[in-house]
Amino acid sequence: MSSDTWVRQIRRKNRAWLRRHSYSFFSSLGVLVKHKVGTMMTVLVLGIAMFLPLGLYMTLANLDGMNLRQDEWSAITVFFKSGTTEKEVNRVAAELAQRFEPEAVAIISPADGMADFRDASGFGESLDMLEENPLPWVMQVSPQRGPTRMVEAMVGELTGFLQSIDSIEVSQFDYKWLQRLGRMMELGQAAVTVLTLLFGLAVVVVVANTIRLDVASHAEEIEILALVGAGNAFVRQPFLYTGLWYGLMGGLLAVLLLVFTMLYLGRPLGLLLETYGTVFSLRGLGLNNTLWVLAGGSSLGWLGAWISVQRYLRRLKVGGRLGR
Amino acid sequence: MIKFERVSKLYPGGSRALADVSFHIEPGSMVFLTGHSGAGKSTLLRLVMMLERASRGQVIVNGRNLSICPDRLAPSVRRSTGMIFQDHKLLKDKTVADNVALPLMIAGLKYSDIRKRVRAALDKVGLLDKENAWPLTLSGGEQQRVGIARAIVSMPPLLLADEPTGNLDPNLSRELFSLFEEISEQGATVLIASHDLELIRQTRKRVLVLSNGRLADDIPASDGL
Repeated sequence: MSSDTWVRQIRRKNRAWLRRHSYSFFSSLGVLVKHKVGTMMTVLVLGIAMFLPLGLYMTLANLDGMNLRQDEWSAITVFFKSGTTEKEVNRVAAELAQRFEPEAVAIISPADGMADFRDASGFGESLDMLEENPLPWVMQVSPQRGPTRMVEAMVGELTGFLQSIDSIEVSQFDYKWLQRLGRMMELGQAAVTVLTLLFGLAVVVVVANTIRLDVASHAEEIEILALVGAGNAFVRQPFLYTGLWYGLMGGLLAVLLLVFTMLYLGRPLGLLLETYGTVFSLRGLGLNNTLWVLAGGSSLGWLGAWISVQRYLRRLKVGGRLGR
Repeated sequence: MIKFERVSKLYPGGSRALADVSFHIEPGSMVFLTGHSGAGKSTLLRLVMMLERASRGQVIVNGRNLSICPDRLAPSVRRSTGMIFQDHKLLKDKTVADNVALPLMIAGLKYSDIRKRVRAALDKVGLLDKENAWPLTLSGGEQQRVGIARAIVSMPPLLLADEPTGNLDPNLSRELFSLFEEISEQGATVLIASHDLELIRQTRKRVLVLSNGRLADDIPASDGL
């Protein structure tokens, strides 16, 4: 056999494979459309099962991204020793800016500090009596914004650096809060993982059970298919596609539920946070995550269908002898 | 085309369906298989279809020794064999054309080719006008012919029929048999299990007679009986 005919044969086989798949693809869709109510109920269950972990995930993502006063919690106030020169302060600020690329560095000179204090305290005239300005140079550093865990790490590095500088007397920051927020996020993320695993399993089981009934009701058809020479793959495919559709539609429903929930909760939540002085906008799922949800749902549906069909085929020995 | 060498089949539980059966069917011939019910006709056909495995002996079909053929090749053995069943085995929720198309779908043919060949097969059994009918709206004879169209649509070299005239009146049965003759004349090997002795005699083909699982008689094709 020349290599040319060999290649042609492979092409022909691939085309046959593709045709068989397109046949299963459409026939499985047809079956779902035919049993609308049953399909809808299954999809509803799957959608809710996928919505729960997804909802919690989005809640956390929003909390984390919202910078719940993260700026205040993570800002570091640095007091220089008295007698530190402006040049030294600028040098430290420059080095800090270069090494850590913080969100902002504000330098408050003793004079500025005094002016502020004068305005804010109302001690205006008594302060004039001071012979010299007792206030030190102050620097306020806001680390880069980002997920809590990142900010936490950055703050750790920053304080390490600041401690190593002789001209700095003390640096203050609200580390405890930041730490607490970080731990809470970690706890939430662990909960998301557990929920995802559990509800992923639920999706597989629901689809497997639905497909099991579906296969059982097609027992006669499967036998006939086997008699006219269908192999396991041909018998399996339509059911696998059905499982895939279930998963895909469940995923789609979960995303829709999420969108509606966010639309519904968005306004009251915004109003609530406004009273805390936080301006925020809800973060959506995004295209990437949406695709992940749909792909994940489809795979789980496929897997559930596969488990069911495979069990049945093995019992019936469709691919081999049908002998009972 | 079909060669049995000292084939025995024991079912679990000890009942003996076939005992020491040997025969050879030449390619392109038409052969009848007869015998009382329970004589082992169906078992013999099931062995050829690889629906059962022989307990002893060799079953060789189309050059392939089914006794040592792995189970996973069973579908491909069945695809090269057209089988006609007494109870038709049609899918009730598919049209006549879709039923006939099944073997071609499984083979993964192009849709336009499938359509062409389905129409050709339906034309051959005289049911072209029932293309879009549902199987349950057809008479028993028509359903049987749909089954035949499905069996011949992929032009297999071997055609098996298990009591194809079981529920049909004599006229329809005669028509069916002449259809089988026609198919055989076009080169396919045809093996028909039937107890319609009168018809078998009229066709004057070779007849294998089974009795209690043994090959009791092998009557060669003749010009007069």
